[in-house]
Amino acid sequence: MTMKKETLEFQVFSGGKVIIDLSKCNQCPSNACVQICNLPTMGRVLDLKNGKPSLKKDLKEIKRGACTECLGCELECELRGMKAIQIILPTPELDEYLKEIETKGMRPVYKVSWRSR
Amino acid sequence: MARLYEYQGKELLNKMGISVPKGRLAISPKEARKTAEEFNRPVVLKAQVLSGGRGKAGGIKFAATPEEVEKVAMELLSSQIKGIAVQKIWVEENLPIKKELYLSVTADPSHRRPVIIFSRDGGMDIEELARHSPEKIITHQMNILKGLREYEARDFIRRAEIFSSEQVVALGAILKNLYDLYRKYDCKLVEINPLVLTKDGRFVAGDARIDIDDDAIFRHPELGLASTEETGERPPTKIEIAAGRIDEGDYRGTAHIVQLDPEGTYSREIGKIPIAFDCVGTGTSLTTMDELVDLGYFPVNFADTSGNPTASKLYRATKIILSQPGIEGYLFVTCVSSQQLDNTARGIIKALRELYPNTADRPNIPMVFTFRGAWDEEARKLFDEHGITQSPWVKILRRDATEKDSALEFDALYKKWKKETGGLES
Repeated sequence: MTMKKETLEFQVFSGGKVIIDLSKCNQCPSNACVQICNLPTMGRVLDLKNGKPSLKKDLKEIKRGACTECLGCELECELRGMKAIQIILPTPELDEYLKEIETKGMRPVYKVSWRSR
Repeated sequence: MARLYEYQGKELLNKMGISVPKGRLAISPKEARKTAEEFNRPVVLKAQVLSGGRGKAGGIKFAATPEEVEKVAMELLSSQIKGIAVQKIWVEENLPIKKELYLSVTADPSHRRPVIIFSRDGGMDIEELARHSPEKIITHQMNILKGLREYEARDFIRRAEIFSSEQVVALGAILKNLYDLYRKYDCKLVEINPLVLTKDGRFVAGDARIDIDDDAIFRHPELGLASTEETGERPPTKIEIAAGRIDEGDYRGTAHIVQLDPEGTYSREIGKIPIAFDCVGTGTSLTTMDELVDLGYFPVNFADTSGNPTASKLYRATKIILSQPGIEGYLFVTCVSSQQLDNTARGIIKALRELYPNTADRPNIPMVFTFRGAWDEEARKLFDEHGITQSPWVKILRRDATEKDSALEFDALYKKWKKETGGLES
């Protein structure tokens, strides 16, 4: 576990990382991230220590796939917590593709407006 | 299956000790001419495309002088072979051919082992030869645990009954090296057709076709291949390369994505509306695509995100699928599956949140999601909780919906969207 300015950060198998801003967790009314992570079908890698999430397993084990990348912690924190979790899952080839089509004057559909607006 | 270009295949053959003609890659007529000047002899120019039947399609041409080489290279580089634009050509010395042979090692699914195939008549379609003159083909089933010893290779070649002792030794060595290449690079096929016996008595690989097993590509970074779905005879698109990375080395479910109409131009040409598409289960995928086409839509991609993939796979797959330009809608349908659909939904929701940050995660095109199977109610609930279903352009269908219902609901939603918004700016 690496601690930086009250941040819990760990890498996941598919390439990417989970970053939890622990400074926000003191005010968390739900600890929803820990709850969802410990449901029977989930990865069960998060634990609650002193009111904040911590890791139950070592970083190597988590990176080898113990974290099942369900994304539950981030989305539950968004809904019921303090919006303290960010999961970064890079897609470098897609980023490269998007840059390329931009140079051709093309845009992906989510950047296009409606005609009537 | 990842197919190597001829020039890449010849590099591997050469590395394994099999003689190949002197050659060089060219991407312009000037480069081709320069190579011909250096070789100072007649050359053959070969379009580097992945399709078979290249010679019959006009992709192989001969030229005697540098001027002729430049002219022929210009023609080739502005041509298409079976619909694929020629972007590079292989310029190589013209071999003095005495006889053409055929040699390959391929996977034999019926015997579940590699098989060596040899014919004294090469340079033609081996399937055609097998139909008309099967007696000219000899085969040998391999035992991968034992491998191929040189004497076994020579015994095999001897069965052709036309070669001198010296030739048997030379061909045996080529066969041994070819089999070693097949195993070393996790191939599905290594084929030399023709294997040329030159007038001065050498055996040289006139062509090279090498197909690598998709699932083994990650073991061969030295080949610089992208791990993608099978794209037939065309090279993978950037989107397919990005999608191929999702499953690379990660066997927790799958994300199969192939583009059918990368820029949505074909759809419009045939009067259909291009839309993006994803399914859980290939059967559902194909059935739903059929329903969509009947209603006037054309899925610009095939996708199957099944086998209980991680939510992170769905996140990446959804971002990739929705990055295809020109699409006017998105349909996601699951089969009645045991897949944990709440995780599937989380991946899609995270992608939509990132793609639509300015509209509270709500998409600007019609989207229908049909969740059927394990945790399907949780999936629907997550879409509600995250406010995505508050969009008038999102509809969630439940387990009582069929593939046809999904397509019909999409059709109704699309028409409403088009009427009220005018569609997307061009």
